[in-house]
Amino acid sequence: MKWCRVKAFLISGLKTTFRDRASIFWVFLWPIILVLMTAYVFIPPSVGRPLTLDTGVISYDHSETPFNGTTFIEVLRAVEYNGTKLFNVKTYENESLLMDDLVKGKLDVGIIIPEEFGKNITFSQARLKVYVSGSNIYSIQVNKAIISEYLREFSIRTGLKKVEISLRYMNTSYIPSNLTVQGPWGNNSFLEFIHSYMLGLVEPINITIIEKTPEALSTRPAIIGWYVIGALGMMMLYTGFVIGATAVVEEKERGSLDRILSTPTREAEMLMGKTLAGLVILLLSSAAIVFTGVFVIGAKIEWNPLNITDWLVPLNLTLTGLMTIGIGFMLSLIAKTSRGASSMATTLGLLLSFTAGVWFPKEWMPAPVRKLADLFPVTWALDTIRDIVVYNAGLMESSINTVKNLAVTIVILVLGIIAYKKTLRRYAEQ
Amino acid sequence: MLVVEDVWKSFNNKSVLKGVNLEVKEGEVVSLLGPNGAGKTTLLKIVTGILRPDRGKVMINGFNPEDLRARTFIGFCPQEPGLIEDLTGLENMLFYARLQGLDGRKVIGKIKELLKNMGLAMDMNKLVRKYSGGMKKKLSLATTLIHDPKMLILDEPTTGMDPGVRRDVWKIIEEERKSNKAILLATHYMEEAEVLSDRVYIINQGEIVAVGTPEELKSRYAPLSVIEIELYKFPEDIDEAFRGSSLSYTMHENKVRVHSENTEEDIPRLVTLIHEKGGAVRCLNVTKPTLEDVFLRLTGRGLNI
Repeated sequence: MKWCRVKAFLISGLKTTFRDRASIFWVFLWPIILVLMTAYVFIPPSVGRPLTLDTGVISYDHSETPFNGTTFIEVLRAVEYNGTKLFNVKTYENESLLMDDLVKGKLDVGIIIPEEFGKNITFSQARLKVYVSGSNIYSIQVNKAIISEYLREFSIRTGLKKVEISLRYMNTSYIPSNLTVQGPWGNNSFLEFIHSYMLGLVEPINITIIEKTPEALSTRPAIIGWYVIGALGMMMLYTGFVIGATAVVEEKERGSLDRILSTPTREAEMLMGKTLAGLVILLLSSAAIVFTGVFVIGAKIEWNPLNITDWLVPLNLTLTGLMTIGIGFMLSLIAKTSRGASSMATTLGLLLSFTAGVWFPKEWMPAPVRKLADLFPVTWALDTIRDIVVYNAGLMESSINTVKNLAVTIVILVLGIIAYKKTLRRYAEQ
Repeated sequence: MLVVEDVWKSFNNKSVLKGVNLEVKEGEVVSLLGPNGAGKTTLLKIVTGILRPDRGKVMINGFNPEDLRARTFIGFCPQEPGLIEDLTGLENMLFYARLQGLDGRKVIGKIKELLKNMGLAMDMNKLVRKYSGGMKKKLSLATTLIHDPKMLILDEPTTGMDPGVRRDVWKIIEEERKSNKAILLATHYMEEAEVLSDRVYIINQGEIVAVGTPEELKSRYAPLSVIEIELYKFPEDIDEAFRGSSLSYTMHENKVRVHSENTEEDIPRLVTLIHEKGGAVRCLNVTKPTLEDVFLRLTGRGLNI
């Protein structure tokens, strides 16, 4: 094998790609546009921060108790979560105006505070009527969850406050402090027993919910980082497929195939030159995507050159590129024209991007599609990259996955080379 | 340099080459003359190792063309220029130089000299997509010469060229012959074959029907004379008019070439026949036969069919 022949295909492949505006768009600009769109449209800067609900309130309460409809509205206005106000409160005089704004989507939530709300919450049981609005099924669920959770918490805390006041009153007025009771709960002071019992009435189960999202996915930059890797996979899929699928047919169409085959060039030299050119293009495009992701939209992608595990990232990226080019070579078997090969490869690439866990997480897919994602080797390689840069996977686990990806890449390339040689023969015979 | 023995090739059960024998020696130009579809390109693809023959043997300088060593001896210029349009002329030259195993930096001087000889020096840094058809053909020819091959295989090198450029290419072929190269030239231009060839192989429907120098072929197969008749009014049925003469002929626009062994007898007879069928003669010439006439005599059809 002579390097100068490999170099001939490498240089011509790179120069023709960089001189073709359509190639520049699809290989470099489109993935960058996709990443920018994702960052600003699908993962807007508000992601990761608590939502503020536009809340309309009408109060019919005129109770003279310390806590009433007016103080409830003041509490709504003041409540914050992680520094963000939960409710943007607007008061209404007219119920039909409030309904109108709810239907038009100007409000997320409408609360009707009935007469004697203050009196009832202090001395018995108060009622509230809550309307939830939403422009789609997701927003209505989110709005409902936020207001329900808030009011549940408010209700419990009010109950606890009432228990505290009641016990204070009982303690000082009616129950002797030395009175004890005995039962399955043990031998306690009667006051302690009553306290525990009443707390149980207000809140039978004290639930503690702890969020355990991977730290890497808990912030917007980290979520964007996840999608930047998805963009790499998507670009590799359709570009790698196109590079492989059109490698022979484009030479045939421009009439250079006969010339090449009449020179002392080996098939392996042509194959290696074209594969290398494709790989360089894919890696340059990857660098452009990552650069845009990290420096333009602030994606969090952690890569430390001093960490050996992190070096498996470029290796797996290279394997991903080789896999897609190899699959492209296989596609060339059924392609008749470069236009046809290109369309077929792009369609298949985009289809797999959306169904094989490359762009959208596998967990979002229906079960049969998820199986496809689990069997697709390009997804394995991208998952290995995500495991390292998103989930901080260790060297041993990542190395095992990389070896598996390397083995699959070799199999795909061997099949691709067989397909490539067959295609070459087929075109020579035409 | 090149020996082709009893080569057969068929595609989809249709025979394209039927037992072709051919030989090209160093310092000679051998033309393969035949109409489109005669099997010329298929034979050249077999000679260059692109296709395998179904039967028969091909040797280039003692090597089978499928052996990569054989391909170092040849420079193949196919019908289509085979250039990469998004590369410049110079970059295309470097591309093919590298495919021949040459170091681009070492051959840059030779490349520039070749481009100068082809009249492309001023345009070598232009993208090939901006070249005219003639410039592309010249560049294509230049790329076949980059490794100084012992044998040139040229498939219709002047098709589509204007007469001036065609003569430039002929001049280049002549110069390569003088440098002792073996040249196999497939063409359907009889003038090209006649001007350039030391020997001509006439191929028709996959078979070599005659071999010889242009003069030998003409003396062996051509008629004594050719009567060229220019008509200003065509007879009602020209085929019927000439069928009556039992002479072979070809037609091109308003000219008819009629083969004649006895012009004194045939000329008055032809004029009368044309006149009887309602035609009128503008002028009439008696010329020497060409290779086209040889082809007509051998196959019963013209080269442009």
